[in-house]
Amino acid sequence: MMEWMPLILFISVCLVLMLGFPVAFSLAGTSLIVAGIGYMSGSFDGAFLSALPNRIFGILSNQILIAVPLFVFMGIMLEKSRIAERLLQNMALLFGPLRGGLGISVIIVGMLMAASTGIIGATVVTMGLISLPAMLKNGYSPSLAAGNICATGTLGQIIPPSTALIILGDVLSSAYQQAQLSMGIFSPDTVSVADLFVGALIPGLLLVVFYMLYVGFTAWLKPQAAPAVVDRPELDSRFVKQLLAGLLPPLALILAVLGSILSGIATPTEAAAVGAAGATILALVYGQLNISRLKEVTDGTLKVTSMIFMIFIGAAIFSLVFRGFGGDEQVQALFEAMPGGKLGAMLVVMLVIFLLGFILDFIEITFVVVPIVAPILLAMGIDPVWLGIMIAINLQTSFLTPPFGFALFYLRGVAPKELPTSAIYKGVAPFIAIQVGMLILLSFIPELATWLPDKLYG
Amino acid sequence: MPLSMHSFVSSLQTFTAFIGKTCRWFSLAMVIVTCLVVVLRYAFDYSSIAMQETVMYLHASLFMFGAAYTWQQQGHVRVDVIYHKWPAALQQRIDLFGTLFLLLPTCLFLIYISWDYVMMAWANGEKSHEAGGLPFVFLLKSLILVLPILLLVQAATNVLASLFNIPLTTETSQEGASS
Repeated sequence: MMEWMPLILFISVCLVLMLGFPVAFSLAGTSLIVAGIGYMSGSFDGAFLSALPNRIFGILSNQILIAVPLFVFMGIMLEKSRIAERLLQNMALLFGPLRGGLGISVIIVGMLMAASTGIIGATVVTMGLISLPAMLKNGYSPSLAAGNICATGTLGQIIPPSTALIILGDVLSSAYQQAQLSMGIFSPDTVSVADLFVGALIPGLLLVVFYMLYVGFTAWLKPQAAPAVVDRPELDSRFVKQLLAGLLPPLALILAVLGSILSGIATPTEAAAVGAAGATILALVYGQLNISRLKEVTDGTLKVTSMIFMIFIGAAIFSLVFRGFGGDEQVQALFEAMPGGKLGAMLVVMLVIFLLGFILDFIEITFVVVPIVAPILLAMGIDPVWLGIMIAINLQTSFLTPPFGFALFYLRGVAPKELPTSAIYKGVAPFIAIQVGMLILLSFIPELATWLPDKLYG
Repeated sequence: MPLSMHSFVSSLQTFTAFIGKTCRWFSLAMVIVTCLVVVLRYAFDYSSIAMQETVMYLHASLFMFGAAYTWQQQGHVRVDVIYHKWPAALQQRIDLFGTLFLLLPTCLFLIYISWDYVMMAWANGEKSHEAGGLPFVFLLKSLILVLPILLLVQAATNVLASLFNIPLTTETSQEGASS
């Protein structure tokens, strides 16, 4: 019985989660109930849970995660003040007259939105509302348009500065320390959020390039699938001015935030605060700032932040209970017995994370699964930055995969009824292939993720 | 149904909403204070531990005070694979079940396990370990009790509303709740 408890815990949590009660409370409640049963049957050591108050205090005083609400603030401000929308419209004007141009402008703006908000839902919904009608009206193949928007929406995971990478960076850094301590290294190397940002840069941009190549290639091969927009605006100085006014300020803001983190001038928290202030000033300049807008933005920030941190607390309870049942030793034994060593363990972890990505989102997987598996994988000698990027791209793929991918649900929610769900599924298939190709490429050339951080930070 | 129960439940609802609508401004305060920290540091080469810790206190209070309000506004993510397909009555039952058997034990356990920890911090008047830091660590630690208490208030609101069939007036704003 005893040795089955961690598995029973894991399965109970999955089953209860499927009911649909909020994730944070389901995680905490189910874990505590299973712990209670274990305690009464003598298979659970209650001492593990007495560490809980200190764990929660650790969450409250975590310096790295202070960047999260600040980035969320910046993202919601950019979204609510319609700066992203304006950007999308201007890009469409610029690239529209080219074959496949609308699709490419969606990818570029999606990348920028991804960099600023890092929240899949927001990107897919905004683009689904603005770009999808435009693309359909101009005769784009519905499946290409849908696939294009869904795939671009998931870039928020991987393009820095993303909230997802900050959380992953924080979890990986403690996992990395734990792994090195277990190997007897008492002055451990560290891995920081900035390392992860830099590591994500090349793979993220490569994905963007591959997406664009695919759209461009389709437009060239099948012109009727991605036609040029007919009403070409006149490229006079007024248009160029309007274009630059809409394009440059948000672009400069995002680049400044990213640049100051990557160059080491500012910590992610400082950069996020300055970015949030910058977004507020932009909204003011565009005449979009008033007291009710400010209420909306702060309200959204409070909700998203509470949601994230409640999951963190729920996951902390889960992981204490899991350890109290000896779950981590079991996972370790399982990995060590795995044929194929490092490679086998990595493959299994990636598969499990991919499958979990159908029901859980990035935050939950990062807080619940990564702390269990990462220390073991890292102790086997896997590079932390590479592991982080692999997890991020893997989850991105999972969110794109029918029938459960999150991005598909978000698009379905805002897409017109005439667009059949099968068209969405068909449209994402090539993008899934690109994602899987990227994962394989990264497995053979890990330097794509690790070279730049090594070069910059040694 | 007694009318007094009706007004009791709606005043609980208003109470949680009031807390949320007050605490949401902490996010703006975080932006401002952090920017001040940056300006002081780069322009005047002055760094204040107290200000940095203020940001940390605002950050922690934002979600420890805000979680119950977020729940009221349906802002906590659910695994939505099946839930959204179920009829409203079944969704309500799941919420009632979850509140009573998942959330309630969690809150009670949190209070039980953290009580001594927080009381100890009060008894010692615990201060920051950093020189020049804020002397209010005991307040920061008290947030660990604030969270379950506020969640219990919202839980009571939801359970009573569902038992007595009281419609809850949530002016659900779409503000980034599901993003």
